[in-house]
Amino acid sequence: MLVAESLTKTFPLEKGELRAVDQLSFRIAPGEVFGLLGPNGAGKTTTLRMILGLLEPDQGYTEVDGIKTADDPITVKSRLGFVSASDGVYPWLTVREMLLYFADLYDVHPKQAKANAESLAEMMSISSLLDRRAGSLSTGQRQRVTLVRGLIHDPPVMLLDEPTRGLDVVGVQTIFDYIERLRELGKAVVVCTHRLDEAERLCDRFGLLHHGRLRYSGTMDELRHETQCDHLVDMFVELLRDTPQHG
Amino acid sequence: MGNSLQGRLLRLCAKELKETLRDRRTIVTLLLMPLLVYPLLSMALNRFLLSSKTGQAEVVYTVGAATDAESNSLHMWLQDPASQPPDEIVQASGGNLSQFQVVSTNSFSADNAMDPSEALAENLIDVAVKITSGQPPIVEFTSYRGDNDSETARRVLVERMNWLRMRQAEESASRAVQPYVPPAEIRLNSIGEQKQSPLLSTIIPLVLVLMTITGAVYPAIDLTAGERERGTMESLMASPVPRFYVLASKYVAVVTVAMLTAVANLLAMFVTLWASRLLPLLNAGDEGFPWFTMLQILGLLVLFSGFFSAVLLSLTSFAKSFKEAQAYLIPVMLVSLAPAMLSLMPGVKLSGALAIAPLINIVLLARDLLGGVADPAAALAAIVSTCAYAAAAIGVAAKLFGSDAVTRTSEQSIGSLFQRPTKVSDVPSPSSAAMMLAILVPIYFIVSNALIRLLENSQDMLSISSRLCLNAVALVATFGIVPLLVAVAGRYRLWSTYRLYWPSAVSLFGAMLVGLGAWALAHESLVYSTALGFGGLDEEKIQQALDTLAAMKQAPPLLLIATLALAPAIIEELCFRGFLFSALSKVLSPGRVIVVTAVIFGTFHVLTGNALLIERFVPTTLLGLVLGWIAHRTGSVIPGMVMHFVHNALLELVAHYHEKIEFLGDGFENQSHLPSTWILTATLIAIVGMALVWTAGKRRAEVSS
Repeated sequence: MLVAESLTKTFPLEKGELRAVDQLSFRIAPGEVFGLLGPNGAGKTTTLRMILGLLEPDQGYTEVDGIKTADDPITVKSRLGFVSASDGVYPWLTVREMLLYFADLYDVHPKQAKANAESLAEMMSISSLLDRRAGSLSTGQRQRVTLVRGLIHDPPVMLLDEPTRGLDVVGVQTIFDYIERLRELGKAVVVCTHRLDEAERLCDRFGLLHHGRLRYSGTMDELRHETQCDHLVDMFVELLRDTPQHG
Repeated sequence: MGNSLQGRLLRLCAKELKETLRDRRTIVTLLLMPLLVYPLLSMALNRFLLSSKTGQAEVVYTVGAATDAESNSLHMWLQDPASQPPDEIVQASGGNLSQFQVVSTNSFSADNAMDPSEALAENLIDVAVKITSGQPPIVEFTSYRGDNDSETARRVLVERMNWLRMRQAEESASRAVQPYVPPAEIRLNSIGEQKQSPLLSTIIPLVLVLMTITGAVYPAIDLTAGERERGTMESLMASPVPRFYVLASKYVAVVTVAMLTAVANLLAMFVTLWASRLLPLLNAGDEGFPWFTMLQILGLLVLFSGFFSAVLLSLTSFAKSFKEAQAYLIPVMLVSLAPAMLSLMPGVKLSGALAIAPLINIVLLARDLLGGVADPAAALAAIVSTCAYAAAAIGVAAKLFGSDAVTRTSEQSIGSLFQRPTKVSDVPSPSSAAMMLAILVPIYFIVSNALIRLLENSQDMLSISSRLCLNAVALVATFGIVPLLVAVAGRYRLWSTYRLYWPSAVSLFGAMLVGLGAWALAHESLVYSTALGFGGLDEEKIQQALDTLAAMKQAPPLLLIATLALAPAIIEELCFRGFLFSALSKVLSPGRVIVVTAVIFGTFHVLTGNALLIERFVPTTLLGLVLGWIAHRTGSVIPGMVMHFVHNALLELVAHYHEKIEFLGDGFENQSHLPSTWILTATLIAIVGMALVWTAGKRRAEVSS
C-alpha cells in the first residue's frame, strides 16, 4: 500500500548541511499500523512531508498503491489522509463548512461529501458541533474535527504526525480509538511519535529513527529479539548510548 | 468524484470570501473606514476652503479692469456690505475676509493701453474683469488656468457677487418691487493653458488608492500568512488540488474585498462631496453628479485592486506569521507611497516612463480622468503595464505560496526565490510566463519609444535599409531576448519550451496556404476596423506612415521581406506560440490558450510607443487566433512561422509593388476593400490550407495515441 525506498533529504545550513533523512526504507500493508518513532529532530516529520509530496526527496522515492509521488503527486495526495497535532481550523467557518471545504479540495462530490461529514461526525461524536463556528470549539473538540477532516475523502493511507501531543487523557484515548477504527477500516496507518509508551500500545510494527536513519525495524517481538530489550524506551536508550551525538 | 473544475473553483472562492467577510476586521476596513474618513475629510476640506475664501486677511487679490468706470463699478459692489458673507461664515473663518484691490490695467504700460487679459497673462493681476453695460450689466471674470490664486480669487469674487444678488433679491421681494433686476449677470472665462489638474483631483485618486490598499491588506495577510499561523497551511498543501487553484481562489477573495472597499470608498467619497457641495471643485464647476467619471475611476480601481492584491499576496505568501507579513508590508506601502506622492507635484505628466511606473501611473491616470485630460495612448500603456505587473506578482505568489521555501522547518531564505532551479524542466511554468510578460512590457515600451525617437531625430541620416534593420534588431531585443533569458534562467528545455518539433510536410503546406489566403482577410479586417472608427492615428502620423511607405519602396524587396516578414515570423512565433503557448498549456485548455495568446499578441501590436494603433487589434488578434489554432493542431511552432511569414511577406510585397498590380482592382493605396473575387479566392485558399492543417493534426493525434 505505502512504500518508502531509500528516502534521503538534506537541508542546507549556514555552515554545512543537515541530513534530515538518510536512506530510509519501509513498507506498510493495508490494515497495518506502523510507528515511525524517534526523538525530536529524528526526521519523522520530514519523512511524512516527502510522502505527502510537500518536500522533494534528494534521493529515493515514495509510492502509494503502486504510484510514485514524483510521477503523479495529485493522485498520490488524493489517496493520503493527513492529521497533525499542529493542525488548526478556520475560525470563521462552521465545522460543516470546513469539512466540506476539505472534501472539495480532495475532489469529493458535494453530495458524497455531505454524507461523509454526517457519518464521520457521528463516529467521532461531533454531530452537535457541525453548525458551530470552528473558532468557538475547545481544544478537544478541535482535535476531533481535525480527525474527521483527515478521513473526509476516505483515504486508504493515513499519516498521523504526533497525534497525541498536547492532549489530556481523554484526548489521547480518542486518538487510540480513532487509530483502532482506522485499523478496522483496513487503512494503512503511519504514526509518527516520540511517545514510545503510546506507540507500544498502538502499532503493529515499528521503525526506530535516529539522526535520519532507520536503526531498527520490525514487530515488537522482532525488535526485542534484535535489541535484547523488553520495551521501546529501553531500546531507545541503548540506541542513543551506541550512537555518537552530533550537532 | 466528477466535480467540474469551474464549480470546484467557485466553491473554493466562496469559502475564502466567506471566511474573510465574516471577519469583523474586514468589515471595519470595508465599511467603517469610508463612513468615517470621508465625512471627516470633507469637513476638513470645507474648513480649508472657507478659510481660503475669507480667512486670509493678509492676502490681497488684484483685480484688473480696462477702464476706470469698470473699476469703480466693481469696487462699489465689493464695498457694499450686502456682498459680504453672513456673520456665521465670517466668524467660522476667524473673522477675516479676502481683500480685493481693483486697478485699471492701462496704468501698467507706458502707452496706457494694456488689456486686462494681457495683464493677467503677465501675472500682473489675479483676475481680469470686463463689464458690458446693459440691464443688468454683464460682468465677465477671467482667471488664469492652473493658477491657484487666480482661480481662488475668481471663485471668491463670484461668491461675493452672489451674496449681493441674493441680498438685493430678498430686499426687493420684501418691498414688493417688481420687476427685480439683479445687479449684474456673471460670466466666467479662463485664459492660459491648463498646467495641471486641480489639486483635489490629484488628492482624491491618491486617497482612493490608499483606501483600496488598506482594504486588501488584511485579507491578503489572513489568507496566506494566516493559514500558516493557525496551522492550516500544511493540510491545505497536502491536499490534491493544484497550488495555483488555491492561490487563485485566495486572489479572487482578496481582489473582491479590495474592490468592495474601493466601491464603498468611491460611493462614500462622491456622496460626501455631493452632500457637502464640494463636487463642482472636482468636476470643473459642474454641479451634476459625475456618473461617468465615477465609472471610469471605478474601472481604474478594479485594475488597481487586481494589481495590488497580487503584489500583497506575493509578499504575504512569503511570511510565516501575521507579524512577519505586517513587517514586510509596512515598508512596501511606505515605498509605494513615495512615488504616488509624486503625482501631487505640479508638472508631473502621465507619459514616458511614468506611464509604465507601477502605482504612480494609476494615480496619474485617475487624476487626468478627473481633469478630463487623459491621453488614450498613455492610458493604454498604464493599463497594459499594470496588468503585466499584476500577472508577474501572481507568478511570484504562485512560486512562494505554500512552497518549500516557507515551511516552518525550512532553512531557506528569500534568496531561494531568485535561485535557478536545480532541475531542468520541459516547459515554463505559468508564473514564469507572467514574469516574462512583466519584463517584456516595460522593455518593449522603452525600446519602441527609443526606436521611434531615434528614427524621428535621424530622418535624413539613416537610410531606409538601416531603419528596417534597426526595427528587426528591436524586435529581437524584445520578443526574442526576453523570453530566451527567462527560459535560460528557469532551466527550461528550449526545444520543448519553444515547441520546436518538426512538423509533417502536409501541415507545412497547409500553413503556407493559410498564409496565402489570410493576407487578404487581414487587409479587409483592417479596412473594417478603420471604417468603424477604431483608428488611433492623427493626420500627422498618417502622413508619417505614408512617407515611410513611400520610402520603403526604395528598399530592396529582399531586405523588406527579411526584416518585416521573416524576423517577425520567427521571433514573434517563438515568443507567443512557443514560450507563452507551452507555459499556458499547463493550466489552460487549448481553446483558452489560443484566445489568451491571440489577445496578448493583438495588444502588443496596438501599443507602438507614441501611437495607439487600435485598428491593428482586430486583424492581429484574428491572425493570432489562426496562428494559435495551427500551433495547437500541429503541436509545433514551425507551421505558424511559415504562415506568419507568407502572410507578412504578401502584405509587404503588395504594398511594394502596388502600382504594378493595380490591374487587380483599385484601392490598395486608399485602403478600400479588395475586389470580391479576390476575397473569395483568398478565403477558399485559406480554407483548403486549414483543412490540410486539420488533417495533419488528426493524423498526428492518431500516431501519438
